[in-house]
Amino acid sequence: MGKKSISLTFITLIVGFMLAIQFQSVQEPVVRDTRDTWQLREDLQKEKDLQARLIREIRSNEEKLAQYETERKQSKEEALRNTLNELKEEVGLTDVTGPGVKLYIDKVNEGLYLENVEASISPDSLKRLLNEINMYGAKHVSVGGQRVINTTVIREIAGETKINGRSLKSFPIEILIVTEDFQTAKKLANRMEVSEVAEEFFIDNLTVNVLKPEMKITVPAYEDVIRVRNIEAVKSE
Amino acid sequence: MWLPVLGLIIGVLLGFLTDFSIPVEYSDYLSIAILAALDTLFGGIRAHLQNIYDEKVFVSGFFFNILLAASLAFLGVHLGVDLYLAAVFAFGVRLFQNIAVIRRILITKWSAKE
Repeated sequence: MGKKSISLTFITLIVGFMLAIQFQSVQEPVVRDTRDTWQLREDLQKEKDLQARLIREIRSNEEKLAQYETERKQSKEEALRNTLNELKEEVGLTDVTGPGVKLYIDKVNEGLYLENVEASISPDSLKRLLNEINMYGAKHVSVGGQRVINTTVIREIAGETKINGRSLKSFPIEILIVTEDFQTAKKLANRMEVSEVAEEFFIDNLTVNVLKPEMKITVPAYEDVIRVRNIEAVKSE
Repeated sequence: MWLPVLGLIIGVLLGFLTDFSIPVEYSDYLSIAILAALDTLFGGIRAHLQNIYDEKVFVSGFFFNILLAASLAFLGVHLGVDLYLAAVFAFGVRLFQNIAVIRRILITKWSAKE
């Protein structure tokens, strides 16, 4: 009898539990909506008022934002900042991306000679090459990852040709040129193909390869700090 | 004899106190399982009154009926046929029959006492 009633109790316990859970699950939506048409209308009206107020608020905020934006644009600070950025770009302190041409200066094919070829680029021919490139409409140039700026020095130090103080030893040397537009880049590439200066590199056992102009070439920024000596600001009255 | 009733009450209290509710899409399964459980429970009471109660049959029938009813409902959902109605019908009919038999037995016992 005892065992019997225990199992029965267990089962009635399960049944009761299931019943209670089912009751809870089914009776979840207890609150009924008992509003009539007028109350619904009033509530709707209230919500609409709220919406209108929120929209007004958003609009005023947006107006304020636009106002601030125009003020900022017209302010002296913005003008100065723009000028500064323009100047930085002009001087070469920023990365520049645009249509341009890639040149590679490489050793002459070593199969032509029996012995190993010693090749080194001479500063004079590199300068001439850069002059020519600038003549044909280059805007921003880098040689072997070094940006060429107004004060860039190309010279031989202890038998090594250096640009901005960095050696140009590992061939091929990559020259990146960014031009005003794609048309100029094409012209520049064509001119470089037939350039005599490029021919003269052969004396140093080097060749200049001109790649096809591309729409996107990025010239890196000048790495060092530009030190201004011998320049003073003009004192205005 | 009062122990099963106490178990029922404790179960109901436990269910309400745990504040546990199942998702709406599964409430069909639970309802059919409850129906199966009630059917088995009343069947057990009837068998007890008729003195043919077997504990193994009762306990196994309880769980087996619940599982069968739930799986029938599951199958019905996946076949697109309301198969759980079959279970509702079967258990409903048996529930009524069991209760009728219990009532008769109680009446005969009561009239025999007089």
